[in-house]
Amino acid sequence: MSDSKNNIVIDVQNLSIGYESRVLLQNLNFSVNSGEIFVILGGSGCGKSSLLKNLFGLYQPLTGDVLIEGQNITKAIGVDRQKIMTSFGVMYQEGALFGSMNLLDNVTLFMEEYTKLTKQQMQLLARCKLDLVGLLPYESYMPSEISGGMQKRAAIARAMALDPKILFLDEPSAGLDPITSADLDSTILDLSKNLGFTFVVVSHELASIYAIADKVIMLDKDTKGIIAEGDPKVLRDTSTNPQVHQFFNRIMSKEAA
Amino acid sequence: MSISDASPSDTRPVNLVPVASWMQINNMTAKVVLSGHVNVYTLEGVWTQIRQEQDAWLSAGKGQNYSLTLDASQVTSLDGSGFAFLIDLEQAQLKAGAHFAIDGLDTRYQPLLREFEPIANLFPVPVTKPKRSFVVSTGMATDNFLKDGAGLITFTGHLASDLFWSIRNIRQVRWGDFVNAAVEAGINALPIVGLVAFLIGVILSFQAAIGMKQFGAVSFVGPLAALGIVREMGPLITAILLAGRSSAAFAAEIGTMTVNSEVDALITGGLSPMRFLVVPRVLAGVLVAPILTLYADIVSIGASMVTMLAYGIPFSNFYNGMLNAVDLEDIGSGLIKATLFGIVVSAVGCLRGMQTGDGAAAVGISATRAVVSSIVLIVLVDGIFAYISYKTGF
Repeated sequence: MSDSKNNIVIDVQNLSIGYESRVLLQNLNFSVNSGEIFVILGGSGCGKSSLLKNLFGLYQPLTGDVLIEGQNITKAIGVDRQKIMTSFGVMYQEGALFGSMNLLDNVTLFMEEYTKLTKQQMQLLARCKLDLVGLLPYESYMPSEISGGMQKRAAIARAMALDPKILFLDEPSAGLDPITSADLDSTILDLSKNLGFTFVVVSHELASIYAIADKVIMLDKDTKGIIAEGDPKVLRDTSTNPQVHQFFNRIMSKEAA
Repeated sequence: MSISDASPSDTRPVNLVPVASWMQINNMTAKVVLSGHVNVYTLEGVWTQIRQEQDAWLSAGKGQNYSLTLDASQVTSLDGSGFAFLIDLEQAQLKAGAHFAIDGLDTRYQPLLREFEPIANLFPVPVTKPKRSFVVSTGMATDNFLKDGAGLITFTGHLASDLFWSIRNIRQVRWGDFVNAAVEAGINALPIVGLVAFLIGVILSFQAAIGMKQFGAVSFVGPLAALGIVREMGPLITAILLAGRSSAAFAAEIGTMTVNSEVDALITGGLSPMRFLVVPRVLAGVLVAPILTLYADIVSIGASMVTMLAYGIPFSNFYNGMLNAVDLEDIGSGLIKATLFGIVVSAVGCLRGMQTGDGAAAVGISATRAVVSSIVLIVLVDGIFAYISYKTGF
């Protein structure tokens, strides 16, 4: 999809999020381009995962709009909302695999609902997805029989079930060993550079961020907004904001103060 | 449009289905032309059709030296399912010992396609589960039953020792949990227990009155119903409702804690899950079961009184008849039984919760098992109690 590069696929306008009276983040404005790997950063508890859940429409924002491929997900209801939701895949932080099904059935579930492929075709498709995340030998395992890191990878395979062009990943490489994490990064890069997938990733892993991110935004708990935006390597070398500098160079909070 | 005569040089819009067409050039060579956006939706149906054509073509000859070329030069976009389609075609060719080649596939797709090699791994040989013979499954069922019984006995022993511990270390019992469990199992159960008790009181006396009326013995219905309610129906309906409400709730609560490793955290923190989780709940069961039973008795007898009023028996006659038939001993017997039911129901709920396996489904299974086991044990305890009271006259 090289021709559609630099097209905005996710557009966030004046977004404020929070829970009832507690505002987590306010007046966010940013956009994600097609084929981009967009990483959301920030310290613990600053609302990264909540922001992600607002982006893909699981939570309703306090104010503002999120446009996915031009369609406003915060305003859409019913069938329209469902249609927007099938255009992207989501991997939750805890994996959230269905415990009563094995990995293969977890991946084929959404295909059964939305396509008319035969069972063999769906299974082959699901095996391809599991192969991409390195879990092909475990297709008949139940989620409770595999490790937490494997559950996350299986959840990525499930998120890709309907070949969505946009994938939301909540901390995909947390808890993975360095080799598996690097493999996963290379798969994400492959999908993004060769197939034009757009990724919105919440991550803490600096190595992984430098390897994959085209663009990052860094959120801050105190200012309730974005304190840095751009290429992570550039931010690491040039940012004058002490917090950003601290984050990218892994400096302890006491040293900085 | 039939698949076989589709021309690859068509100038139709690229996103028009079908995205793939089959062309047989001669007996030995065939070609599949892929075009447009190849994805999970556009491949519906076409995938099966092409594969059928391919199978027919391959099975016509011996398959050797047959060559299939895939022309991918007109592909606009190819995603995961497109790869799966290519792999499916390739595997069918390789299985028949024939050739397969891909022409004109954009280089950006090459690295991903290589990730799937060797493709044979994507086609595992289906394994059939070995069937268990009748003898084996009977043996396993018996084994499970015995293990379950052993678990119950072990649990009873632990529980007894920990209940004694709680009497000697009364300050260390978690009274906060006890109060929560007692409120949930007791006070919150008042409406449903009252409703069912009222219904039982009405039905019992109404049905008895229909029969008794033929013999002119309607005045005996009140004492009969009251005795039945105090000795049997009151404790029994309360216990069964407790099993359905609280035993299941205890099992689900402790089961979820087991799934979330909270019980493991208690153990590694040096706390006994029996004392921490089970003892407060069992004590709550012991407290609320007799109180709820007494409440059920009163509501039920009240309902019976109202019903008998319809048959012309005034309250005072009902009351005097009841006093003659029902002793304090009968009420005591019912309440002792209710206390035993309370222990059984809350303990079994906790036991099933602790035995929970992994995952969300396991919690549901535990709650179900808690209710079933509770009711079975209620019946058992009731039977034993009836035998003892028959022999001793209590």
